[in-house]
Amino acid sequence: MQDDALTFFFAANPEEADARQRVVDAFARRHPDIKVRMLLSGSDPLQHMSIYCAGGKCPDVLMAWDLTYAGLADRGVLLDLNTMLAQDKAFAAQLKAESISPLYQTFTFDGGQYALPEQWSGNFLFYNKKLFADAGVRPPPGRWEQRWSFYEFLDTAQALTKRGRSGRVSQWGYVDSWVASYAAGLFGMNNGVPWCTPRMNPTHLNFDNQTFLEGIQFYADLAHKHRVAPTSSDTQSMSTMDLFTSGRAAMALGGHWRYQTVDRANGLDFDIAVLPTGPKGRTARSNIGTTGLAIAASSRRKQQAWEFVKFATGPVGQAVIAESGLFVPVLRSAITSTGFAAAHARIDNLPVLTGGPAHSQGMPITPEWIKIAALMDRNIGPVLRGARPATSLANGLSRAVDEVLRNS
Amino acid sequence: MTTIDESASTVTRRRRFSTRRARAGRMFVAPNLASVAVFMLFPLGFSLYMSWQNWDLFRPAKFVGLANYHNLFAEDPLFVIALRNTVVYTVGTVVPTVLISLAVAGVLNRKVKGISIFRTIIFLPLAVSSVVMAVVWQFVFNTNNGLLNIMLGWIGIGPVPWLVDPKWAMLSLCTVSVWRSVPFATVILLAAMQGVPDNLYEAARLDGAGELRQFVSITVPLIRAAVSFVVVISIIHAFQAFDLVYVLTGHNGGPETATYVFGIMLFQHAFGFLEFGYASALAWVIFAILLVLTALQLRLGRRRAAQEERSWA
Repeated sequence: MQDDALTFFFAANPEEADARQRVVDAFARRHPDIKVRMLLSGSDPLQHMSIYCAGGKCPDVLMAWDLTYAGLADRGVLLDLNTMLAQDKAFAAQLKAESISPLYQTFTFDGGQYALPEQWSGNFLFYNKKLFADAGVRPPPGRWEQRWSFYEFLDTAQALTKRGRSGRVSQWGYVDSWVASYAAGLFGMNNGVPWCTPRMNPTHLNFDNQTFLEGIQFYADLAHKHRVAPTSSDTQSMSTMDLFTSGRAAMALGGHWRYQTVDRANGLDFDIAVLPTGPKGRTARSNIGTTGLAIAASSRRKQQAWEFVKFATGPVGQAVIAESGLFVPVLRSAITSTGFAAAHARIDNLPVLTGGPAHSQGMPITPEWIKIAALMDRNIGPVLRGARPATSLANGLSRAVDEVLRNS
Repeated sequence: MTTIDESASTVTRRRRFSTRRARAGRMFVAPNLASVAVFMLFPLGFSLYMSWQNWDLFRPAKFVGLANYHNLFAEDPLFVIALRNTVVYTVGTVVPTVLISLAVAGVLNRKVKGISIFRTIIFLPLAVSSVVMAVVWQFVFNTNNGLLNIMLGWIGIGPVPWLVDPKWAMLSLCTVSVWRSVPFATVILLAAMQGVPDNLYEAARLDGAGELRQFVSITVPLIRAAVSFVVVISIIHAFQAFDLVYVLTGHNGGPETATYVFGIMLFQHAFGFLEFGYASALAWVIFAILLVLTALQLRLGRRRAAQEERSWA
């Protein structure tokens, strides 16, 4: 037991844990005097972190998620890193020059900087090249500047959905490996309307905006009207990612956290593509999915923690991440590095990843996100089940969400 | 003089002995009392105190008086939904559990060769953890490939979305809950049935009563106290439902609000939203509902027993 060690809390699947270990090892080589003890999260990282911190054992360095960190920052759990940046002007300048501003600003809350971004985890499409070639369908675009309409996407999904004699689907055109209610909002956003304005501490979300709702309706119709995507019943016995990796789905929505799973799938020839754009949207946008590293306000090893955060989010650590291929780094030098390209040599459409952070639009940042996510899950459910139209959200969900935001 | 001295010293010795015994008794009870105080009385008192506060684990608790209770009853639309779902779940669990357990205990109470094997089999679900059971039932309830729908398919019934459709989710949940509750209830009822004197059945048989008549007119009235106990315990268990729901239909009590019961509401507010004051208020409301239900039931039971005694007299 290394009681004097710096504790680092993070969530990861086994492949990601390997990458974490590599970053920690690289840090240990540069800072042999600082021991790091890794704490792997359980299935609910926020709950896990809250219990640690409430019990007076808050890990020194914490992984922070774009959607949930504000709740911890608002409660004073996280240290305002501006205090550290003010003392480390050279690093602050380097970070400013190299950072992708929307990602950096994601962790700027109520005037404080509560984490430094470490990886971009926005969503894009994985597609099975062989299934596209077999069906004679043109592959989707691999640059964010290339527009791909909802209807072209639907045509493609329809062409790639196959049914057996009994009518049972043997191959889906599209599957979704993200949270369904979030993915629905992503389609709403790609119809040209942001989730909310402003992004930070909003008092209203656009669940009453007809254009946003049309995007959600299009997403819901994929499963129930057009039958090109599985319903929740269809995915009870096999996860959507398994459907894709086993060649039973032609396109899958997901982020880079799925890359290793897809890359390791036996005999799967895949590439990645940008998301489709709705009739009222101008260009395709991913979501600013990002995780960062934060320091606990109660940490007794703030300086050591700062060294670790600096390393992992700075040029050296980001280069290690880039070469590992396990995350999409967030510093310009790392994202455009040859190491990152070499780690993704298998795919042709690398610009989907390298251009992703700059073509992303944010989801709401509010301390009340957990409550809003529960409301979304409850209210968008009937729309995704085909039991209610998306327009029903304008009254029910929109009012409930606004009330939560008003009372916060 | 010597005799008086001897008897006085005997009394003194006895007193000392009884004092020592009492002290030893207190010493033996002390660890248990301490654990009751630390793990039951303190949390109870603390949760009552917390129900008057706003507390999110990190910021200092803020006194809000009865605001948490007011919000629960007057402002939170999900409270009514959780109450309705909990009542439906309780009725949907307790009634079938009692009826099935009575029937099963009645069958197991027969003196038939090899009955002990059946008794063992019926008690097996008691040995399985609720979470494991819920996971297994998830497979059974799978819409496209679940055992239940495959079997229904044999008789021409199309796939039922057991856990996916809000209309079916509560029924599925009650089914699993009944499956879990029946063994415990059966153990209690069977033990009570075995205490019913045989001569009553012999007399009934001589009077020409059949098996069913004996069961309804002798067994059930004589095990009323055990049935009452089973009902009270089952209601308490049903009100506390959490693990089955969490595993079967998720941490939001979905789909939509179909299985959003008090246990899920309490967990979500306490550990999801970190609203420990609000969750404590909810816990005390659940406690109050259970207290009223149990008191009512005991009162009804006593009144019924008194009426029966009068009618026998």
